[in-house]
Amino acid sequence: MKRSQRPAVVAVLLALALLLAGCGVVSRPGPAAWDDRAAQALTDAGSEVATARLALESARKGRTWSSYTTVLLAEAEEAAGKVEEDLSRLQVPAGRADAAAHVLDLLGRAVDLVGEARAHAVSGKYDDQALLDQLDRLSDELQQAAP
Amino acid sequence: MGSLAERNGYDVGLHLLDRQVIGADDRLIGKVDDIELVIDDDGALVPTALLMGLPALLPRFGPRLGGALARAHRLVREAAADQDLPLVVDFDLVEDVSSDVRLSEPGHGLLHRMAHDRAADPRRCRVGDLLGIPVRCPDLPRRSKVLDLRMVGSPDGPGEHRVESLIVGPGRPGALFGYDRRSEPGPLAVAAVVHWLHRHARIVELGEGVEIDHEAGEVRIVAGTSLAPLRG
Amino acid sequence: MKRYFAVLLGILTAIGGFVDIGDLVTNAQVGARFGTSLVGVVALGVVGICVFAEMSGRIAAVSRRATFDLVRERLGPRMGFLNLVGSMLVTLLTFIAEIGGVALALQLVSSLHHLLIVPFVAAAVWLVLWRAKFSSIENVLGLMGLALIGFAVALWQLGPDWGQLVAGVSPAEKPEGEGWATYAYFAVALFGAAMTPYEVFFFSSGGVEERWTSKDIGVMRANVFIGFPLGGLLSVAIAGCAATVFLPAGVAVETLGQVGLPVAVGIGKIGLAVVVLGFFAATFGAACETGLSTGYSLAQYFGFPWGKFVRPKEAAGFHIILLLATVVAAGVLLTGVDPIMVTEISVVFSAIALPLTYFPILVVANDPDYLGEHVNGPVANALGVFYLVVIAVAALAAIPLMAVTSMGQG
Repeated sequence: MKRSQRPAVVAVLLALALLLAGCGVVSRPGPAAWDDRAAQALTDAGSEVATARLALESARKGRTWSSYTTVLLAEAEEAAGKVEEDLSRLQVPAGRADAAAHVLDLLGRAVDLVGEARAHAVSGKYDDQALLDQLDRLSDELQQAAP
Repeated sequence: MGSLAERNGYDVGLHLLDRQVIGADDRLIGKVDDIELVIDDDGALVPTALLMGLPALLPRFGPRLGGALARAHRLVREAAADQDLPLVVDFDLVEDVSSDVRLSEPGHGLLHRMAHDRAADPRRCRVGDLLGIPVRCPDLPRRSKVLDLRMVGSPDGPGEHRVESLIVGPGRPGALFGYDRRSEPGPLAVAAVVHWLHRHARIVELGEGVEIDHEAGEVRIVAGTSLAPLRG
Repeated sequence: MKRYFAVLLGILTAIGGFVDIGDLVTNAQVGARFGTSLVGVVALGVVGICVFAEMSGRIAAVSRRATFDLVRERLGPRMGFLNLVGSMLVTLLTFIAEIGGVALALQLVSSLHHLLIVPFVAAAVWLVLWRAKFSSIENVLGLMGLALIGFAVALWQLGPDWGQLVAGVSPAEKPEGEGWATYAYFAVALFGAAMTPYEVFFFSSGGVEERWTSKDIGVMRANVFIGFPLGGLLSVAIAGCAATVFLPAGVAVETLGQVGLPVAVGIGKIGLAVVVLGFFAATFGAACETGLSTGYSLAQYFGFPWGKFVRPKEAAGFHIILLLATVVAAGVLLTGVDPIMVTEISVVFSAIALPLTYFPILVVANDPDYLGEHVNGPVANALGVFYLVVIAVAALAAIPLMAVTSMGQG
């Protein structure tokens, strides 16, 4: 190896070591980092719930066609599921157990409700006012929970 | 368009290298990947051929990268034994040089591989080998290199053409972007930056006091040789 | 009369062809998160692409040299090669995103999963590139792309508070919850989406192929100076729709379906259908343009015959590249990668690849050897230098911003 290349090699190895140190099998964020992730998850879930509501509302007014609504809701359901899954896989830091249970409960309800909306859309039942109200309420709850 | 015939000399690196070559039948043939020069008995450098193809192009990537690429190319194209020699177009066939290089004959069947003995001829060299070699001169900054070769005549005009002078100075070949000529105003800001970067660049005429040493890969200029500033 | 019609057609296709998947997604995302506070960046990008497209078009018309010829002639083989590799990667990334975009648009109509549609789209794009007379395809797709005017109509129908929208244009109106780093990241993304290098490759190569002469400069300028800004207005309309419908509801745009949703809310089924047709045309047209651009740049660097007007047999290398690019694009999409994410990455990397492409254009546009009397005037030069600085800043800031904001999430 040429002498001039040695510092570069050392730098690359150091960078790799740092990178590996940050990637364990289980991600273990500190309390502050976990709060950030939880808030982000709530915001994302809120976005999916609001999308589902908009899609269903538009479908009810006959402003979209069925396949468009289905695709929108299916994608919202998938995204919401991914948000919940990602957060539930984080190691909850000490002192956040109650908050975690609350957040994961909200996320679980979001997934279920968006899934229900998808089921309604596929079977063509758009004018379920109760479901729309539920989506509305959950959307508000999610927004309030996320600081 | 300013055909080079109207010019009293041109810079090889700027005006000829890397230009598109087009046959008389309007077919695109390739790029001017390099130019072959012959060293006359009296030391003059005379262009003899345009070289094309990867074997001409790859060495211009520099000794390390170019060498690696050339080796890789030989591996891939091992089947053809002469693939490590470039294609040759004689300089006489150049009819017009503007924003492209036009040949006087159709492209089909015009190119031929360089012969092995021609490639090994010590009296022949390539422009790509000269650009960027170090220049040793007490009157110039230490890191000076050959930046470009200035020719007399024009490749498309009658009469002789030969390398008349060298543009030397610190920096990289090609980094003048053509701002060494007076005719080009450019955006003022860009021109000013390029001029400042090349404030030590000079033009030196070939002849007494200037020696191009191919073996050592350097140009030696005796102290006191007249060095002209870039823009006249 | 016929001449005026040709000019009009050119302008209309320039408008319809301006927007591609990058503009669609980025503008909707930005509108949903930042309201209209980044509209200034769109305007900056549109003026920039006008400045450099006009220069490259002028060079193509007068000297018959396309952009990558200039890149190699002025940057030399080494830097030129670096640029070639970078631009090819970015253009290929954009190509992948566009093909994915076509599949996503068709998914909205058929509800088939887009992975099933990708192979057919790739095959169709390749067939068009190989066989079809490109000018007719460009015209048809460009005119169909005008369907995206639906966004402007939808914005009007949504009846937003116009005063608030206009007042929100100032960067100071950035929503409270968003950090300045995220703001800057999306500014770079929008700028990259508006100024993608393939547009200049394609524009100048098309000019060379269609044998423009200095007489065509006027028409070319009309296309650029009228068509591109009006196309840019479509981008702004997309952002405005998203700002009106999504920003209050707290929706973040992640899918193409969401991009069209405000039109459904504003106009209804017909409007939505028109806009989805616009999605299809815009992405399919851009897929053809990016696909051709990969072939153009490689062929122009090495100097072998290229173009749609050369018979495929003579331009074999060119067509092999097109085939390879299409196969690679389909292969990448079939791994299941999200086309929207590919789009987000492609616009940011576009911003990084810009300086090495636009610098040689600016230098050559001043060279009387190429342009004779048609060299840049003082206005073009002032704008060119200004944009060179902006482009350099955007390119340097892109990767750090990407890392700091984890692609705009923070």
